[in-house]
Amino acid sequence: MKILSLDCATESATCAILDDNKVLGEITYNYKKQHSQILMPMIDELFNNTNMSISNIDAFVASKGPGSFTGLRIGMATIKGLSQGTKKPFVTVSTLDSLAYNLAYTGGIICPILDALRDNVYTALYTFENCELERISDYVNISINDLINMLSHKNCNITFVGAGVSKFKEKLIENLPKVIFAPAHLNLARATSLGELGLKLLSNGVADNLYSSVPIYLRKPQAEREYEDKMRQKKNE
Amino acid sequence: MEIIVTTVEETYNIGELIGSLVNSGDIICLIGDLGTGKTHLTKGIAKGLGIDDHITSPTFTIVNEYTGRLRLYHFDVYRVNDPEEIEAIGFDEYIFSDGVSVIEWANYIQELIPPNNLTITIEKDLELGDNYRKITITYSDKRYDYIKGIKL
Repeated sequence: MKILSLDCATESATCAILDDNKVLGEITYNYKKQHSQILMPMIDELFNNTNMSISNIDAFVASKGPGSFTGLRIGMATIKGLSQGTKKPFVTVSTLDSLAYNLAYTGGIICPILDALRDNVYTALYTFENCELERISDYVNISINDLINMLSHKNCNITFVGAGVSKFKEKLIENLPKVIFAPAHLNLARATSLGELGLKLLSNGVADNLYSSVPIYLRKPQAEREYEDKMRQKKNE
Repeated sequence: MEIIVTTVEETYNIGELIGSLVNSGDIICLIGDLGTGKTHLTKGIAKGLGIDDHITSPTFTIVNEYTGRLRLYHFDVYRVNDPEEIEAIGFDEYIFSDGVSVIEWANYIQELIPPNNLTITIEKDLELGDNYRKITITYSDKRYDYIKGIKL
């Protein structure tokens, strides 16, 4: 099965074509958010240089987030369009999953973080059990301080990966005992990683529904925001 | 800081002066009743940023994007019923970006506006003339100190 995989959830604009056992090509730009302009030319180039066309693709993989709202919509709309037009299935995978999968077989806890702005991060926790990636928390949008509190009782190495790392690196080093950071070449969302996870799902017959599949935006719950407003108003009084 | 203007052109000129000085990441809140000149001021800001496109109020589109010396995100949140609606379009990604954000009716979404903003309030006083406007500019972050240099 050949798949086209796409991830625009972060600054990284990345697409790849994968076969069952082989990555045939990947193009990734991790430079400013210009997804709407470069994505289609990237896909086109990928097809040209692998001597393929859209008709060779059996299924599609897109990021379902969390991440940049605009980016998620660009990626999801593109994949949905291609899927509907070619009548081939698609499946969505979280960019957090794919970032954790970048660090295959790392011991301890893997913690991908993406900047959710206002000192918040999108994150989830992962481990590798018998060489299988396992998510051991929900996908959450929490403040960096809450994440540090959550991790402070963990007694193993914690490896951070993702676009949010650079912003919070010093804070994480200061506040947590055993932290490790992914090297730059593994620290960005890659369509190959997302694609491989998607391929596993597709091979097991898992696919998303064209009409009901939506990105996970992970906004803070209304109650929490109202509480924060109240606190802020109190402070201003 | 207060500036009194008596014509639409003067409002535009103030905008142009501001636009020539704004920096990457600036957030400008425009507050004032209908017809006070918020969009005219924005047109000036765009001109000052070197944007020659025709600027129209994004009342229905919520945000319009332009490219000049810096990117300009022009918001009009008049029609937004609930701040949550605007948050859902990815508001934070715009205002915390490298561009300049101008937000008309920013008072409608106060809870989403970060403290390091430049607030421009435009008020009419019909007793002093149909086109009399008092423009009040306030800020707390010294990144906006360039405003002190603005004169009609």
